[in-house]
Amino acid sequence: MKSLRDLKPGKKGKVAYITGCEDIKQKLYDLGIIPGETVEVLQDAPFGGPIKIKVHDYCLALRKKEASCIMVEEER
Amino acid sequence: MKDIVVALVGNPNVGKSALLNAISGAEVKVGNWPGVTVEKLEATFIYKNYKIHFVDLPGVYSLRNQTAEEKVTIDFLLKEKPDIILNVVDSTNLKRNLYLTVQLLELELPMVIALNIWDEAVEKGIVVDYEKMSKLLCVPVIPTSAKDKTGLNELLDKLIDVYENKKFVQCEHFETQIEEYLKKVINLVSEYQPILLDLFPKRYLAVSLLEGTLNEPITSSLEEKLKQIREEIKSLYKKDIKTVIVEERYGVVLSIYHQTVKKQREDVVDSSITLDKIFLHKYLGIPIFLLLVWIVFEITFKISSPYVEWLDKVLGVVSSWTLSLLDMANTPDMLKSFVAEGVLGGVGFVLVFVPVLFTLYIMIAILEGSGYISRAAFLMDRFFSSVGLSGKSFIPLLLGFGCNVPAVYATKTIENEREKILTTLMIPFMSCGARLTVFAFFVSVFFTSNKGLVIFSLYLIGIGVAVLVAVLLNKFYFKTKSQFFIMELPPYRLPTFKYVINTAWVRVKAFIVEAGTFIFAMSVLVWFLTNIPYGAKKDETILANVSKKVAVIFQPLGFGTWEATASLFSGFVAKEVVLSTMGNIYVGEKIQEEKKETSFTEGIKEIATGFIDANINLVKNFVSIFGFVKKEEEEFDKSLADAIRSAFNPASAYSFLVFLLLYTPCLATVFAIKQELNSYKWMFLSIAINFTAAWIVSFIVYNVVKDFL
Repeated sequence: MKSLRDLKPGKKGKVAYITGCEDIKQKLYDLGIIPGETVEVLQDAPFGGPIKIKVHDYCLALRKKEASCIMVEEER
Repeated sequence: MKDIVVALVGNPNVGKSALLNAISGAEVKVGNWPGVTVEKLEATFIYKNYKIHFVDLPGVYSLRNQTAEEKVTIDFLLKEKPDIILNVVDSTNLKRNLYLTVQLLELELPMVIALNIWDEAVEKGIVVDYEKMSKLLCVPVIPTSAKDKTGLNELLDKLIDVYENKKFVQCEHFETQIEEYLKKVINLVSEYQPILLDLFPKRYLAVSLLEGTLNEPITSSLEEKLKQIREEIKSLYKKDIKTVIVEERYGVVLSIYHQTVKKQREDVVDSSITLDKIFLHKYLGIPIFLLLVWIVFEITFKISSPYVEWLDKVLGVVSSWTLSLLDMANTPDMLKSFVAEGVLGGVGFVLVFVPVLFTLYIMIAILEGSGYISRAAFLMDRFFSSVGLSGKSFIPLLLGFGCNVPAVYATKTIENEREKILTTLMIPFMSCGARLTVFAFFVSVFFTSNKGLVIFSLYLIGIGVAVLVAVLLNKFYFKTKSQFFIMELPPYRLPTFKYVINTAWVRVKAFIVEAGTFIFAMSVLVWFLTNIPYGAKKDETILANVSKKVAVIFQPLGFGTWEATASLFSGFVAKEVVLSTMGNIYVGEKIQEEKKETSFTEGIKEIATGFIDANINLVKNFVSIFGFVKKEEEEFDKSLADAIRSAFNPASAYSFLVFLLLYTPCLATVFAIKQELNSYKWMFLSIAINFTAAWIVSFIVYNVVKDFL
């Protein structure tokens, strides 16, 4: 189990739970980041900027801070 | 003829406004939702003896009532009760889109679903059994494409059909246990607070009561009972109620998705993902972005400038015609001056912005429609998050260096209200082209040996103050502790030509009507201030008298004279007129443009050749964007230079320039702020912030530099 933040670009993970970010938990849910869903990290921005992930059939950008709230089971 | 009100609801980036444009073309009107900065699009369209009134609600991902967009949407749907909800969904991204659909069904309003962007789905080999989807969701589903204009008539027919046979079938699609709880909640409401049943649709009421998100006071006895149910669900499902509901909704969505959507092939190469590998590249992304932004900047200002000059010429001709007509009618001088300078001058002030705004709006429509604007935000986020902004602020702020007015309108692309307000308040500190002309003049008088350095220092001061203002406002006004940034990166799409032109035109029209009246009225007022009593000496007009009284507040800044004050006053109207006002005041004679009589045919000829010239210059400018630009040295009025040299010393001149840089740039910007933020409060605050910042910084600068210069 690791946070989405620690997932390298190109790696996929299955969302286990969301922790710490109570204020954005709901927002993440609305966007389809729910336990059991697979997310893939596609790219990261320069200078420690946001990361780009794929969930369902679309792409989302979120900051490292938010990514660290999403706990995932890395797929190998 | 029957009236039908149709509300367009859907996720952001699903082509709602493109669909509206495709259906109704130039009939679209743009405005603002009351009290918020969210843009409102409306269009009325007559079809088969029905007057269909479309209202485009802001793009939302859910109906949770948290963001400004969600509040507007849910308020409109619950209070205005449109006849039909037109749920626009992106056929290539159904899982997330249908999540909102499932929530919309809870509102118990007749609904039609448009499976938009159908063309792209077909291209990608996505097959949707929309007839089955229609049965599963209990609402009609029509595939549409705004790009190919397919399905539009079917959609309109279906809207009329649904309107005529107002039927609404509520799908009870959650698992039985949850449906039982929802019924229980409704029973409790009718027992403890039956009034709620009149205010809200049942299912929506039950779900939001359980979630605790209803925007309405609840009696304590009802709340008590609800708490019990929540506890029960929690112990049963081992999760809190909000999670249970979300999972239920996604359960419905996924089951419908799997029953109706087949992917014929799994695309190995997704063009958007490939493009992002270039545009969001770790090292190349930012240089590419800066290059694109530079092109946008150049096009916005260079492409429009020949037409600005042309409009200027047209107004010159029109005003000479008007004057000849007034001469024939033996009109008194005062009225002539009023018409020529007050009225026509006012019209001119508005019109000069039209070409630049039109090009800007085209640029924005392309940036937004193509999906690139989100990439810009992604790339610049790191640099702006520390000031409490996101990357989307970059483009508006940069445009500010050209002209603040289009820059303020460019904040349209920022959804977050706080970020939008902050960016808008920062823009006036970006030194625009009009200010540069004044700087250049002063610098050529006082700082000949290091012109560039002085002007550069002014730009830096502007940026520094803008950042400081943003930091202070964030800390003391918005009191933001943590912000989050979760943004969709929509697929790259080529916006249609019609969509781009229509959107730009609709927005320019709104500017002409609203800003036009305001700026025009102000220009008339300014004429009165500067010309009354008519024929009085230059130091006896109302403006001069007011300036004499106000001048004292500029004493500590080094330029406490009425002449300087009056010049600043004219700079409040527009920085373009500062030098000519100074000419009037300091040199005394009016810098008259050569007066010539223009006959009607001559005038027409001049307008026509001017237009051809403008088009030639357009091509020239377009070439010069990508080539070398030869800057013409501007020539300055010698007598004004002498007058300025004796009225200021280097320190007070620099202080004057700092003030000129930082206080309110012009009336058009003031109005743009009002229009874009939809609030007089922010308009006045912006003026106050700029004036205070200007005074304080000039004071400091003057006292620091007066011993050196």
